[in-house]
Parts: sequence; structure tokens; C-alpha cells
Amino acid sequence: MTFVLSLVVGTLFAGAAYLMLRRSVVKLILGMALLSHGTNLLLFLMGDGVVKGMPPFVDEATGVTPTAAADPLNQALILTAIVINFGFTAFILALAYRANQAVGSDDLDDMVETDRL
Amino acid sequence: MLTAIVLSMLALAPIGLLARYAPRPLIGWVLGLLPLAAFVGFAVRAPVVLAGSVLIETLPWVPEMGLNLRFSLDGLSLLFALLVSGIGTLIFIYTAYYLAGDPGMGRFYVYLAIFMGSMLGVVLADNVLLLFMFWELTSVSSYLLVGYKHDYADARRGAQMGLLLTVGGGLALLVGLVLLSNAAGSFEISEIIGAGEELRASPFYTPALLLIFLGCFTKSAQFPFHIWLPNAMQAPTPASAYLHSATMVKAGVYLLARLHPALSETPLWTYTLTVVGATTMLVGAAVALRKDDIKGLLAYSTVSLLGTMVLMAGIGGHDAPVALVTLILAHALYKGALFMLAGAVDHEAGTRKLSELGGLSREMPRTLVLTSLAALSAAGIPPLFGFVAKEELLHAVTHSELTPGAGLVVVGAVVVAAVLGILYAWRLVSGIFFGPAAPRKKDHVHEAPLGMLVAPGVLALLSVGLPLGLLPMTSALLEPAVMAITGHAEEVSLHLMPSALSLPVVLSLFAIGSGAALTRFAGQIGAMPSPLPAWLNGDRIYDAAINGLLSSTTAFTRAVQNGRLRNYILYSLLALLAVILTPLALFALGSAPAPDLSNITLPEIVTALLIPFAVLATIRARSRLGAILVAGVVGAMVSFMFVIYSGPDLALTQLLVEVITTIFFLLVFAILPASFERLSKPATRARDGVVALAIGATMAAFTWIASSTTVFPPISAVFKAEALAEGKGENVVNVILVDFRGFDTMGEITVLFIALLGIYAMLRLRPESDPAIADMRGKTTPDAVALGRRGRREMGVAGRDGHDIGQDTVGEPATTAIRSQDAREEI
Repeated sequence: MTFVLSLVVGTLFAGAAYLMLRRSVVKLILGMALLSHGTNLLLFLMGDGVVKGMPPFVDEATGVTPTAAADPLNQALILTAIVINFGFTAFILALAYRANQAVGSDDLDDMVETDRL
Repeated sequence: MLTAIVLSMLALAPIGLLARYAPRPLIGWVLGLLPLAAFVGFAVRAPVVLAGSVLIETLPWVPEMGLNLRFSLDGLSLLFALLVSGIGTLIFIYTAYYLAGDPGMGRFYVYLAIFMGSMLGVVLADNVLLLFMFWELTSVSSYLLVGYKHDYADARRGAQMGLLLTVGGGLALLVGLVLLSNAAGSFEISEIIGAGEELRASPFYTPALLLIFLGCFTKSAQFPFHIWLPNAMQAPTPASAYLHSATMVKAGVYLLARLHPALSETPLWTYTLTVVGATTMLVGAAVALRKDDIKGLLAYSTVSLLGTMVLMAGIGGHDAPVALVTLILAHALYKGALFMLAGAVDHEAGTRKLSELGGLSREMPRTLVLTSLAALSAAGIPPLFGFVAKEELLHAVTHSELTPGAGLVVVGAVVVAAVLGILYAWRLVSGIFFGPAAPRKKDHVHEAPLGMLVAPGVLALLSVGLPLGLLPMTSALLEPAVMAITGHAEEVSLHLMPSALSLPVVLSLFAIGSGAALTRFAGQIGAMPSPLPAWLNGDRIYDAAINGLLSSTTAFTRAVQNGRLRNYILYSLLALLAVILTPLALFALGSAPAPDLSNITLPEIVTALLIPFAVLATIRARSRLGAILVAGVVGAMVSFMFVIYSGPDLALTQLLVEVITTIFFLLVFAILPASFERLSKPATRARDGVVALAIGATMAAFTWIASSTTVFPPISAVFKAEALAEGKGENVVNVILVDFRGFDTMGEITVLFIALLGIYAMLRLRPESDPAIADMRGKTTPDAVALGRRGRREMGVAGRDGHDIGQDTVGEPATTAIRSQDAREEI
């Protein structure tokens, strides 16, 4: 299944790349959302391998975490990534809102003034 | 002691700033004590060196890199060190008179002292890296000296040209020296010289030598790099007299002489130096004859002399090294004097153009006498020292190791250059002092102050004194220098009067005779139109190259950094592609494991298939709301995957975040029109599609290979084992977050808080109260633009309504526009 999931990661990255290359701010932000999904999934596959139906919990009966349980470390990292990404998306949405107020457009090419040589 | 002298010159340079507070001409004499101390320091060591020993001092600096403060004083170094410090003393005195009224004089002295220290470093360094460091320091300090009058564009251009050419050559030199050191196995010059046999057999010999040549030719103003030297005449005259006659321009010649024992006597060495030197000699002499500016004339005559010196370093034979050191000494004496006297004339008469001078012999008799002495020496007229040098020169070219044919050509070239030398020396003296007096630039032209004539006087009188009685002493000084060039003991005995009527004497007499006969035509020869086409002009080619460089880099920067975010993203993605794809294709693709497609359940495959569809739908969506919703589907599917693959916390968080994000999206984009406009051209979309597919394929391959590779054993076993015991928790992921990696979570909360602050600030700031945005509005009137744009979009949408808009389209465009106005008012 890891192979199929790798293809899914590739799809997410391809979609993200295409959207981020568009001129619309909305598409850019959507592209970055896809990028973070792709990255999270990629991180998820980098652990001990995907495990079905065995979350990393301590077994109540034995008091020991089964070694076959899913890798907890990359899960913890992804959890952090999801939350950070949430903050980032919220911030950039507010920025886009503000830019729309100032420039009156969501076309990134209307926002090149500050960055031009 | 050598180390101390070099470093103290550099360290004491700032005392030049005292010139601002001191009585003017006097300060020159006081500051002159600095180079004088160095001169005395070398003079007291002279007897030991002249007796044949070499003084070496080593102070480890960065020994791991082979960089040591290692200085050595042998005959060649001594000659240069005495010239640099001796003429330096005179220049320091002269400057105080020349720049008497200039408020920036202190700065000038600082640059001069830095230059002197670095020049001493060049001629004393016995480590190639150290030599290179001082070499570059002379370029930089010369840049400061030439650009001293930085209010003038010409001075800035001259300084820049000198810097670019000499530092560019310096880079080549560095590579050449490192190659040489690698071949010799040492960075110490004395050891490199000892490894001559090895070096000449080494495969690095040719590239190293060519690169070193490039460094020496640019520094010593050899054709076609000579153009910087005339332009450097924008420097105040003391700097020209010091740098461009006696010191800096001879650094290249010095290095050729220094490496001569190790690298010479190959056809590459001999013929490169012969061709370049002879060409430079003739071009310099010919152009000097045509110059109207007296400093320009002197600059080109210096170019010519530098060519002659390179020629002497190249042709080989017993007498060439003797001629080389004699020329170095003679040229330093008379050219230093001529430059300073030209400065005195400029200072008093207010112009340096021969066409605006003339008949000054009555007003400036002392200057006339000294100039005549120096010019006679330059022309090689007996009994001056220049004559002795010219005799040695002719002797060397008639006894060279060139093939007879090449030797004959070189002899002819040297005789022609000698005749031209007599002509331009004549033109200089007669043009300034005799002939009809041109209208004066200043009302009361009078003799230069005595103090200004002291320095050139000393040099001019040395040109007379050395041959008349001091020749044995001079021979003794030059003998160890020649020894350093040839690598074995040589006997040098200079003499004024030839003992027999040999070929060199005949040639010398011929040159003097024809020169004297042609003097009456000197003016006409100088006025002849140039035979070269106008574009074949070093200055023009240089300017075209610099302008081309500037415009092409500007165009490149404009193209790359054009303010369009998507282009930056494109470059980043392409770079990412290159960075990941290259090692992947080279090392990993062959070792990819075969896909294992067993044990796949229906929910898995449905989820995995839905994601690509949702991604495609996000891309294809024509309406904003639709795009936002299908992007939400992707997020939901990803969280469903976390459910399947044993990540309940992830699934929960992801779902929650997805819902909130989607709501945010909807809130924010309530103010925007409902549908996207096709902004990019089909070709752009096709290009982006190709890039996106390449990224996708690369990332898929990377993920597949990386996930099936284990380089280090995972550390999660520790977390699993210790979660309950150490963290008192049963959910290992939670224990990691709040306990094992608690500080990370702390940082995460901080990031969220900062994002919150930013959002708050952005939403609370009213556009009207922000002057920057108010200004921006005033400039581009975005409201009007926005309205126009919206109108255009709405029409576009209406036009496409019939066939393109699916069920995702929300509302009617007109109401959206009104709503957006309302939304703006509310916030």
C-alpha cells in the first residue's frame, strides 16, 4: 500500500505545484494547503511503515506498547505540522483579505510594485 | 625586523590624519620620517645582503593553510625595498607642497602609507599567499589613491578601471600561484624556486605560468591591459609619481624576476614575454609621442619601459638580468623625477597640456634644469644613468638566447623604441619650456617652491651622480639582485664608457644620431592622424565591456526578479526538482523495490482514489466556492487515511482544522467575485502543467524509495517503551507532544500566538488610517481599477455562463459585488 500512498503524495505535490503557479491568490493558498497535505502524508510514510488498526497506545492489560503498533514519533511531528500550518493558513488568508482591500484584486500580478527592481 | 617594518607601515598609516592639524609643508617632512625609517632599516641590512646572504623571518599565521608571515630579504628584494622606501620618503615630502591647499591631505597620506606598506610586503614576502594578499592590497590602496578626487567622474572611472583590471588579473595570479605551490609542494617562494626542474616538468606548468603571466601583465600594464595606466593619471601627481613609475606597476616585473630561476628557459616563457614585452614597448613609445597631456605622455612612456623590462625578463642570456635591474633602477629615478616635475609645472602653470604650455624656461629655470637632466637620462644620452641602462639593454638584446631571426626583430624593435624615446623626451622638454609661449592659464606663472623641487631634484641628481663616480657602488647593489634573478652568482660591472666599438655601441650611437636628427619633426610625427580605426581603442572596448556587463546583469535581474511571485515559485520548484531528481536518478532509481500491492482493503483504495480526483477538481474549478470545497474534500480524505492507518489523533486534529480553515476561507472570500478568471495564457498553463507533473512524479518516486529505505534504526521504540513509565500516559503520541517534546509544543503555541497577533493587526488596521496604503490608493486608484476589473470579470462570467459554469456557481455576480462592498463596510 505504501506504493499507492506514494502515488497519492505525488498527486498532491503535482496539484500543489500547479496551483501555486497560478496568478490568483486564492489558488496560491489552496495550493499551499495541498502542499501541506502532501508533506504530512510524506512524513507519515517515513516512519516504521504504515500499520492498520493498531494506534500507538499502551496496552491496558499488559502495560506495554506493542512493538507492532504504529510509529508514534512521526505522528507527533505531523500533529505539530498540522497545527502550525493552520496558523499559517489563517495568517495568509488575513493577508490576502487585506491585500484585496488595498489593491482591489486577487491577481498577484497587480501586487508586484513593492518587489520590482 | 622585516615583519616589523612592513606591519608598522600599515599600522602607522592612520597618523597621516595628523596632517589636518599640522602646519602644511612642515608635516610632509615629519611624516616623511616614516618611510625614511624603513629606508634606514633596509640600508643597515644592506651590507649583509650585498655580501650574499639572505635574511629570512618566519612567523606562523595560519600554518594549517600554509600561510605564514614569512619575509625574506635578498638582493632583488633589497633593491625594490630601497626604491619603495627611498622614493616613498621623497613622495611624502613632495605631497605636502603639492596638496598644500587640499583639506583631504591627511586621507591621502593614509592611503600612501598603506600602499607603501603593502608594496614592501609584495617585494619581501616569501610565501605566495602572503604575496598575493599584499599584491591585492596594493591594488586596493592604488584604487583609493587614483580615486582621491572622487568628485570627478574621470577619477572614479580611472580608479575603477585600474581596480577591475589589476584585481581581475590578481585572481588569475592566485590560481596560478596555488597551482605552482601544489606542483612544488610548498607555499614558500624560496622552496618553489628550488624546485625549478620539477616545476618545468609538471603538467601544471603551462596553466600555472599562463595564469601568473595574466596577473603580472595586468599589474605591469602590458599590452593590451595597459589602458588602465594612462587612465590612472587622474590620480594626484604624487601618487602617479610613486605608484605608476617606481613601485606598483613594477610589481609584475618583480614577480617575473622573482620566479625567473624556477620557470624561465622554456619556449613558453621566452616567447610569450618577448612578444608581449616588445609589443608593449613599441605601442607605448608610439602613443607617448602623440600625447598632448604631459602626464599621459609620461604614462605611455612608462608603459613602453615596462614592456622593455618584460622583454628583458624573457629573452634570456647572460646580460638580460643585468639590463633588467639596471633599467628598473634608472627608470625609477628619472621617471619619478619627471612625474614630480610635471606636477610642479601643472601646479604653477595650471595646465598639463603641451598645446597650452611653452616658453616656460624664463619663469621656471630650476624646473627646466631638473627636467632636462631627467629627460636626458630617459632618452639615454651620456653621461646620465639612463645611458648606462640603455647600453646594457642593447648589450642584452644583441646577446639574447632567441633564434637569430627573432633576435634580429627584437634588436630592431629596441632601436626603434630608443629613437622614439629620444623624440618624446625632446617633445616633453621643448614643449614645456621652449618655443612660442602659449597664452598663460594663470596670470603670474613663477618658479615652483623650493620644497617641491627637493624630491625630484634628488632623483634627477642621482641620475647624474650614479654614473659619475658611484658606478662601483651601484654595481655592488645590483649584483645580488641579478643573482636572485639568475639563481647563481654573477659579476656585474657597470661602466659609463664602452671599452671598444662593439655592436651595442654602434646601435646606441645610431639611435642617438637618428633621434637627434628627427627631433625637428617630433611635432609633426606627433600630429599625424592615428592609423588605427576608431573602434580599435582600448578605452572604448573597456567602456563597451563594462556597459554591456551592467546592462546584461540588469536585464538578467529584471527577468529573474520581476516581482511576480509565480516566477519565484517556478524557480524554487525547478531548483527543488534538480536537487531531488539528480541524486535520485543517479543513485536510487535502480534500487527501487517492486511495489507490493497485496493486502489492500476497499476503504483504502477508495480514499486513495478520491484524493487525485479532488485535487483535479480543485484545479479545474471555475468557482471559488467550489475550489474551496473540493480542497476541503482532500483534507477530509487525508484525515480518513489517518483513521485507517492508526493515527486517531492526527485524524481528529486534521478534521477539526480542515473545517475551521474552510470556514475561514468562506468568510474571507465572501468579498471576492464568485468565479475565477482565466488569467494565464494556454502556453503558460501547459508549461506549468509539465512542471507540476514532473514535481509530482519526482516526489512520488522519492517517497516510494525513501519510505522503503532505512538508514538508521528508528528511535520511536524508546518512546513506546518509556511512555507510561516516564510520561505517565497511555497515548504515546500525546506523551511525546506534552512531555518528551514539550518545548516543541511550547514553540508551536508561540507560533500560533504570533500568527494570531498578525491577523489581529491586519484586520484591525483601517486602510484609511494607514498612510502607506492611503498613498498607494492615491497613486493607483485601486478602487477604480477594481471596479473596472470586476465589471470585466462579471461580463466574462456572464458570457461563459451558458456552457462553462457548473452547479458550483454561487449567486449572481452583481449581488456578489454589492455584498463585497457591504463586507468592506462591516469590518
